[in-house]
Amino acid sequence: MRDRVGRRTVLVASAGLLATPWIARAQSNPIKIGIQSIFSGPIALLGTSSRGGIQPEIDRINAAGGLLGRQIQPVYRDSKGQPQEAARVARELVNTDGCEILLDAEASSGAFAVQEVVRDLGVLCVHSNSETSSLTADPKLRVATAFRSTRQGVHDAIVGGAHSAKVATEKKLSRWATCSPDYAFGRDTTAQFLEFLKHFKPDIEVVSQSWPKLGQPDFTEVITKILQARPQALYSALYAGDLSAFINQGNVYALFGAMQVFVPAMGDLPVLTAVKNLPPGIQSAARYLPTFPDTPANAAWYAQYRKANGNDYPTNWSWESATAMRFIEAAVTTAGATDGKKAAAALEGLTIDSPFSTTGKVTMRAEDHTLIDYAIGWGTTVPQPPFVTGIEPGDWGQIFELETEWKKKNGYI
Amino acid sequence: MGRAHTLRDIAIGCLVVAVLAAIPWMLPGKAFQDFVIRCASMALFATSLNLLVGYTGLSSFGHGLFYGLGTYSFALLMQKTTVSLPLAFLLTLLISAATAVVVGAICIRLRLIYFAFVTLAMQMLAHSVIISWVGLTGGDQGLQGGIPRRVVAGIDLGNQYNLYVFSAAMLVIGLLLMRHIVATTFGTSLRMIRDNETRAAFLGISVWRVKLTVFVLAAVFASAGGMVMSLFVSGAYPELINWPISGDAIFAIVMGGVGSFLGPTVGTMILLLLNDVVTRQTEYYGLALGIIILLFALGLRRGVLDFVTERLGGRPAGGIH
Repeated sequence: MRDRVGRRTVLVASAGLLATPWIARAQSNPIKIGIQSIFSGPIALLGTSSRGGIQPEIDRINAAGGLLGRQIQPVYRDSKGQPQEAARVARELVNTDGCEILLDAEASSGAFAVQEVVRDLGVLCVHSNSETSSLTADPKLRVATAFRSTRQGVHDAIVGGAHSAKVATEKKLSRWATCSPDYAFGRDTTAQFLEFLKHFKPDIEVVSQSWPKLGQPDFTEVITKILQARPQALYSALYAGDLSAFINQGNVYALFGAMQVFVPAMGDLPVLTAVKNLPPGIQSAARYLPTFPDTPANAAWYAQYRKANGNDYPTNWSWESATAMRFIEAAVTTAGATDGKKAAAALEGLTIDSPFSTTGKVTMRAEDHTLIDYAIGWGTTVPQPPFVTGIEPGDWGQIFELETEWKKKNGYI
Repeated sequence: MGRAHTLRDIAIGCLVVAVLAAIPWMLPGKAFQDFVIRCASMALFATSLNLLVGYTGLSSFGHGLFYGLGTYSFALLMQKTTVSLPLAFLLTLLISAATAVVVGAICIRLRLIYFAFVTLAMQMLAHSVIISWVGLTGGDQGLQGGIPRRVVAGIDLGNQYNLYVFSAAMLVIGLLLMRHIVATTFGTSLRMIRDNETRAAFLGISVWRVKLTVFVLAAVFASAGGMVMSLFVSGAYPELINWPISGDAIFAIVMGGVGSFLGPTVGTMILLLLNDVVTRQTEYYGLALGIIILLFALGLRRGVLDFVTERLGGRPAGGIH
């Protein structure tokens, strides 16, 4: 056998070498907040428009003297949309970069991974983009120091179901078709929507269901399948680029004149502005619109966002992330500390002023650490700005009642 | 391999674990520990792939199947059953071995590019099953809810330092076992098959049996790496069984050196360091990584460790040039 000591020592030597970049850094004065999201690839808009909502808030706080007299220093990090990277980045932000708080702007799969890391690390974390209900509804997944500042799938399904049932009754729509992306989110959202639609209007018949692939460039097959089934109404959980492609191609086949269409994700400015000829009369949820709620506070926030972000439009993720930052600010101020336990105790049940609510206030519900009283409603599209009109706000009393029933049915309470 | 060499390897292995266990006492930051845990997971995976690629000449593009299977079987056993962690660990190794027997029996009859493609197809199949079987695996959202019962013999693997030492020990044990495998006569048979399969068959080696055995062994070590990752991310995610993860292992082997036993481990360190450093600096991670890999492929024309070994006048252990 040849002498291989040289190679063997590599392992020992490299252990020592690798240690050098991680020499412990002394805690400096600013409060570092770790902000992770997807900043690259096809859904980079998630990260960039979240950052667009967060950064002006931080600038505002810093200009006013900071938080507890300390400046806020954001540390933005790209997880590339991979859950194992999201978990690593969350650990790195806290363990290496010395972040005291996490603002997790990941999509759902990343958020669930971050949630488990937060369980281990015990820092304050506000998820600002994951709308999957189970993240906070399921007590098994709940974490003492983790919160969610976003709209929630089940809330949307209840309001969507109630609104759609009302429209369906008025227009006598009983034959329904669905067209949603073929993965857990698309299938869950569609099933939930139909569940609540049938709750409000039991005589619904689903005549056709299509499941296009994510990022599918050509929807011809799906559109002809829907047209052949001759439904009176169509529900679609498509969103972002897929949705604008679907609308543009559906226009060619006059799809939107042939049936009443319900699309919850339509009411978001990047989609509304990407569609070439926005068909009138689509029923849509307001994800973020400068006109809903139609208040000076919301209009001011919209103007300030566009000014701070090179005239880009804010997305639904922008208001959710801005809200996360405002809750962090309020919780740390109330607690007088950034410590996970103390700040979490302050955040539970906290109500803050917000432009994103019809009542002007949003609350972080204590029992399940999730956002309530935010602006939620459905309206009708028109081809010109403001794109969605006649928005009817959802009834939060009804949402709470049906949400509780839904939680019981799923064994969460 | 002589008994003295085996003992020396074991001694070095123990020393490495001891040094690693001591480092956090001098270096309180936890990032180094995170790095070692991920490195242990990925290095076990990459080295096990090198048993196939470097030592047997079987270019598997679907080895990530077993890595992902390790994460999912282990996480599911811990979540859905009441078995203890060590038992879940052993059961996962058994599940991976059994799966590898079936997959291997189908794949290893094929050669070269056909073998590569069928292994890749197998991994894609497994990924599709994970994505579609939402009730069991959580589909594309991954297996949520964390990993319970992480206390083994009074040691809580939920504790960062304990998991760190555990992962380092797993890596060293795994590497020692794999090193033992390639140093035995069985290891010689592997290299013989790689160099000339027909000649090996004429010399009385049951090529089919040897290939299947090494395929199963490699799967077992890959799934051990998967379990370390499962503990690190507290769950299992479809990305861990999707085909790019096999690509990562191949990158690690290419960068570290296909001909050196520790090449894949060194390659893993480089790959992870690059990932960590580059993602801190830029959002154009893919571009930076692509350029660096090109430099390796066109500039060095071999992995780092192969390059260093040759410069020092040695010959890579795997004997590939």
